[in-house]
Amino acid sequence: MELEELKNIWKNTTPNFQSKGESEIALMLKKQSQSIVGKIKRNVWFELIFTIVGGFALLVYVFTLPSGALKWFFVSALILLVVYLFYYAKKIMMLNRYNKLHVNMKLNLEILINNLSGYLKFYKRSYAILYPVYFCLMLIFIGLERGTDEFVQAISRPEKILLLVFLAVFFFICSRWLTKWYLRKLYGNHLEKLKSLLNDLEE
Amino acid sequence: MYENDPDIRNDLFQEIVIQLWKSFGSFRGEAKITTWMYRIALNTAISGFRKQSRKIKTEDIRESHFNISDNGEDNREEDFQRLQRAIQNLSEIERAMIMMALEEVPYEDIAQTIGITQNNVRVRMNRIREKIRKLMEH
Repeated sequence: MELEELKNIWKNTTPNFQSKGESEIALMLKKQSQSIVGKIKRNVWFELIFTIVGGFALLVYVFTLPSGALKWFFVSALILLVVYLFYYAKKIMMLNRYNKLHVNMKLNLEILINNLSGYLKFYKRSYAILYPVYFCLMLIFIGLERGTDEFVQAISRPEKILLLVFLAVFFFICSRWLTKWYLRKLYGNHLEKLKSLLNDLEE
Repeated sequence: MYENDPDIRNDLFQEIVIQLWKSFGSFRGEAKITTWMYRIALNTAISGFRKQSRKIKTEDIRESHFNISDNGEDNREEDFQRLQRAIQNLSEIERAMIMMALEEVPYEDIAQTIGITQNNVRVRMNRIREKIRKLMEH
């Protein structure tokens, strides 16, 4: 079957495209983009707003607390939230550079794969750093709460050291696994699809 | 026509309109406006758009009957349905290429839109044509 024959079948039977009116187009433009980048951006904005609101609520709560370990624990959490704000701002800046739909398909796939892989790497690394930091902070404030001398004495016992190491490893493995699972569920399949499309083009 | 499911097709059309609107600033007249529009549309359909999770209503190829009909007037619609089903069973890249070819887009523009050479377009188009022929014969 020649291409011309296929074109004839196509031309003679393709339902005529109904052109859209101005108001219909205007209505479409008001709707949210379903693109992968658009969705990630909305997620990051949601996380950013949630962090600001949560941080503000925590700040108000901290002022009601008497001076002590608990207060300092929440102060450190607030500092972490500030770090997160920069982190979200960086993510949004990264995502704003993604709109390269006007280039050819192959180049667009390469750009998207690089950007998405970079974004996921950045996401994983930031959590790989932040989780242990938070774990250490927790230990420090437990130490402060119980009294430094008592705490040092307690953790210098071999069974306590073993328990601490076990907890640290468990905490780290669980957090890494959770982050990986979450990212794979959200973006991993899409990334695999993009890679297979690029392979298809390069064959 | 790129998507078989009418709901997904509408969503995709809307997404393409949004992306065309957003990307208009990137049009610098280096390529034809139609090539630029095809690039945005196909890049949106293939790489940037994530379908909503809803039940896909597309018919399974195994349940379809691909028989070439007599080319009489009454069978035109049937031929068209077979062609459409055959297209739906191609890979996404192949689908994008054949759709452009059926819409009379020159090979040069297809090559520019996809990012491959014209020779490559020719070779791939022969393969696609052969695939469609087989799918429509079975």
